[in-house]
Amino acid sequence: MSEIAVQTSGLTKKFGDFVAVDQVSIDVKRGEIFGFLGANGAGKTTMIRMLCGLLKPTSGEGKVTGLDLYAESERIKQKIGYMSQKFSLYNDLTLSENIDFYGGIYGLNPTDIEFKKNQLLADLQLTPWRDKLTGTLPPGFKQGLALGTAMLHDPSIVFLDEPTSGVDPSSRRAFWDVIYQTASRGITVFVTTHFMDEAEYCHRISIMSTGKIIALDRPDNLREKYKLPTIQSVFVHLMRQASTH
Amino acid sequence: MKRILQMMQKEFRQIFRDRPMMGIIFIVPLVQLLILAFAITTDVKHIKMSVVDFDKSAISREIINAFSQTERFDIKDFTQDLHRIDNDMRSWKTQIALVIPAGFSKDMQRGAKPQIHISADGVDGNTAGIALGYAQAILVKYGLENNSPDVSLTRRISLHIVNMVERMWYNLELDSQQFMVPGIVVVLLTIIPMMLSAMSLVKEKEIGTLEQLMVTPLRKHQLLLGKIIPFLILSYLELAIVMTVAILLFNIAMNGSYLLLASLSFLYLITTIGLGIFISTFTHTQQQAMFVAWFFMVFMIIMSGFFIPIDNMPGSLQAFTYLNPMRFFMAIIRDIFQKGSGLSYLSRDSAMMTFYGIIIITLAVFKFRKRVS
Amino acid sequence: MGKEKPIVISIAIKEVLHILKDPRSLVILFLMPILQLVMFGYALKMEIQEVRIGVIDYSHSPLSRELVDSFRGSEFFRLFFFEGEERDINDLFRKRKAHAVMIIPGNFAKDLTRESLVDIQFIIDAADPNAATMIRNYVNQVIMNFNENRNDMIPIPFEIRGTLLYNPDRKSTYFFVPGIVALLLVMISALLTSITITREKETGTMEQILVSPVRPHEIIIGKVLPYILLAFLIGIIILLIGIFLFQVPFEGSVMLLLFLSTLYIITALSLGLMISTIAPTQQVAMMLALIVTLLPTFLLSGFIFPISSMPKLLQYLTYLIPAKYYLFIIRGIILKGSTFMQLFLPTLYLSIMSTVLLVISIRKFSINLER
Repeated sequence: MSEIAVQTSGLTKKFGDFVAVDQVSIDVKRGEIFGFLGANGAGKTTMIRMLCGLLKPTSGEGKVTGLDLYAESERIKQKIGYMSQKFSLYNDLTLSENIDFYGGIYGLNPTDIEFKKNQLLADLQLTPWRDKLTGTLPPGFKQGLALGTAMLHDPSIVFLDEPTSGVDPSSRRAFWDVIYQTASRGITVFVTTHFMDEAEYCHRISIMSTGKIIALDRPDNLREKYKLPTIQSVFVHLMRQASTH
Repeated sequence: MKRILQMMQKEFRQIFRDRPMMGIIFIVPLVQLLILAFAITTDVKHIKMSVVDFDKSAISREIINAFSQTERFDIKDFTQDLHRIDNDMRSWKTQIALVIPAGFSKDMQRGAKPQIHISADGVDGNTAGIALGYAQAILVKYGLENNSPDVSLTRRISLHIVNMVERMWYNLELDSQQFMVPGIVVVLLTIIPMMLSAMSLVKEKEIGTLEQLMVTPLRKHQLLLGKIIPFLILSYLELAIVMTVAILLFNIAMNGSYLLLASLSFLYLITTIGLGIFISTFTHTQQQAMFVAWFFMVFMIIMSGFFIPIDNMPGSLQAFTYLNPMRFFMAIIRDIFQKGSGLSYLSRDSAMMTFYGIIIITLAVFKFRKRVS
Repeated sequence: MGKEKPIVISIAIKEVLHILKDPRSLVILFLMPILQLVMFGYALKMEIQEVRIGVIDYSHSPLSRELVDSFRGSEFFRLFFFEGEERDINDLFRKRKAHAVMIIPGNFAKDLTRESLVDIQFIIDAADPNAATMIRNYVNQVIMNFNENRNDMIPIPFEIRGTLLYNPDRKSTYFFVPGIVALLLVMISALLTSITITREKETGTMEQILVSPVRPHEIIIGKVLPYILLAFLIGIIILLIGIFLFQVPFEGSVMLLLFLSTLYIITALSLGLMISTIAPTQQVAMMLALIVTLLPTFLLSGFIFPISSMPKLLQYLTYLIPAKYYLFIIRGIILKGSTFMQLFLPTLYLSIMSTVLLVISIRKFSINLER
């Protein structure tokens, strides 16, 4: 497998006259935790949706796991996992049934699903909840379960669109532990967030404003470059700069 | 194939877990069938009548008696005050008034041809017209029986009357249930599949699971088939239950072929499920989907001939009903039930229905994109 | 009460924002009733437009021609001669080419000059029994006229004067347009509120309202207020269109109609609200709202089919249909110029019904909160 997980050049998405993503070019390596930072409407979600095949790009090129965004979007889907800020499991199915369903959709065979289900539930300490309705699960557990379910098929890249919005701080911490574990297994993690402290955990971050990437580097490099103590302050600085233009 | 089965399994689990919804799908239609099958009759009975008898004679009493003896009229009030009639009509207490003027019996015996008045509340023109007809018939009958004997005898011999002998085919006893129950079957096969499919897809859109499904390798046709097949099975189940109740409980005569009914139902169900999917493609919330589905339904029911015969509509509106797939299925089901018509008689309706079915399902599948907008 | 007002109003404002944020639903809400009103107004006709009669004339005589021609005088009938045996009639009916078939026997002309009573056969497609009855009545009328023209009929010793009050031309539009207004108002109102509370339960925002010091009846009242306004607006629009487009004469008091319409709207909204407190999900709520409004209002309110002709048991059931009372009110005011006192009874029923429904909703809602 190639060491480059995601590669785009000049990727653009227009909605009518509105340019949501403007000429974005990135290279993301395998096993990297890549963060997208930006205000609401900066183009983060649109970018992720294009990479997942949910949106067709207007122009530009892109490859995900070496597969072309235009021609091979259905094949890409077998190799990626996706989790959005909306809870994506069915509340009226049990935990076990949800896992069976998504496992089946990805074409896993029943014995594999059973094995992975047990492991996932044990990891999340949810084994006693196995046959309870997902809707009855305490909110803190839902995010972890959704992520685990999105990765049942061992994707090589996972896309997380604001996965921690609406989650309490301690659960967020735990959730990032899972992201680190995931990356250490060689899985590339794409994550959008508006929590600045979370940005510090990424290997590399890109800061987006009005559809363009205005900064892209490792968090420590960015702090050094702008001589500022935190990513928070870097972000504020860049946003001010952008708005004066 | 395996993915379709996965999808179907999931749908069935969700449907059967939703107990109130199951009740709505299976029990409510039966209750409606029980109630509504009796409601539809344009037969006019028990008309509320007020009597103003200024004459107060043996003859006027006989006339009033003639009215009180039929079940067509219920005499509610005797009064000497004409204003009271007006007031009672405006407060819906009486529908028709019989006014016998003073001196009626004397004038009649004198051969002076006195007038007798019947005034009906004409707001419901149809009922009023029928009621007026009944009242006139009662009066004419009384008049003929109470003519002076010489008049009747001399005239009757020279009469040459054409007499209409009527034979009511397909529904000898004019039992409106035979007509309405098959119609209700069609209404159910319209509402339930359309609502279920529209709501289930929009719900997935609303809670975000549809987006999740879109990033999986599940293909569009697999997703849609996984939705359509469970609803088809459910609708057939509904059809079977309602038909069983109709035939066993209501003694509805089924004169045609069950196989024909089942296969034409398939074509229609594809249409209604397709409409549901189509609605889900341009609505974003369950409320919107509900409103749109509601609109489609009301339009389809009115324009189907379910309870307003298409023959009654003005010509331009009759042409409009050809845009309504339900119109064809309504005719098909009723003809199969009541007349036992075979496919050769129903081929035109079936062809039109299929035509709409193909258009709608194609449009729905085409508009349903595996991408977000 | 004075202290509660601000809370009720802020809930009302929140609800208004909800409504305004969804312009698509708003457009649907205003447009669809108008479209339906127009459609219904033209479609609802009690009279059959054209009766197709196939004639099998075995007599082939001037007299049988005369009989057939007597049908041609009426605009209802379209007669066509039909060369076939009796058994082909089935085929004719199945192809829906004729509503009825008239069979004139071979000795018709001869008998009609000799006998006092001559039978002709009328076979009517009675699949739709209502239509069949109507066709029979029309045909009877024509044959009666035919007989009267050829005979000196026996006179009766008095004259019958029949009059139709309020709607002498028997226009069914006058009867139906107010009915459609009643139907649309109850459906919109019930659908609107049926999901308000369920939606908040489903999305979890209810919990947030509940932790604030709001009392159950304040939530309910705050939620209903904007919908009263909205439904009232829609009601006025369809009333205006109905009256002007279909030229329905307006006999009574406009103010009285508006006042009693508001009462009706509140009843319908309360019905929706009660559904909302009972139903666990939006889907169930909307299905329920549709089931309790659509067909029952169509069939059990007296909208089309006279209540007095229904079986007794069903007549009792009609007491539960709010539209039944509103139909008395709206038809009474518009067509007959009824006064408030003349409509006191239906008004009383509606008031009782809305109070009961509201109390049930608040009760049910409070119980839900405690759990």
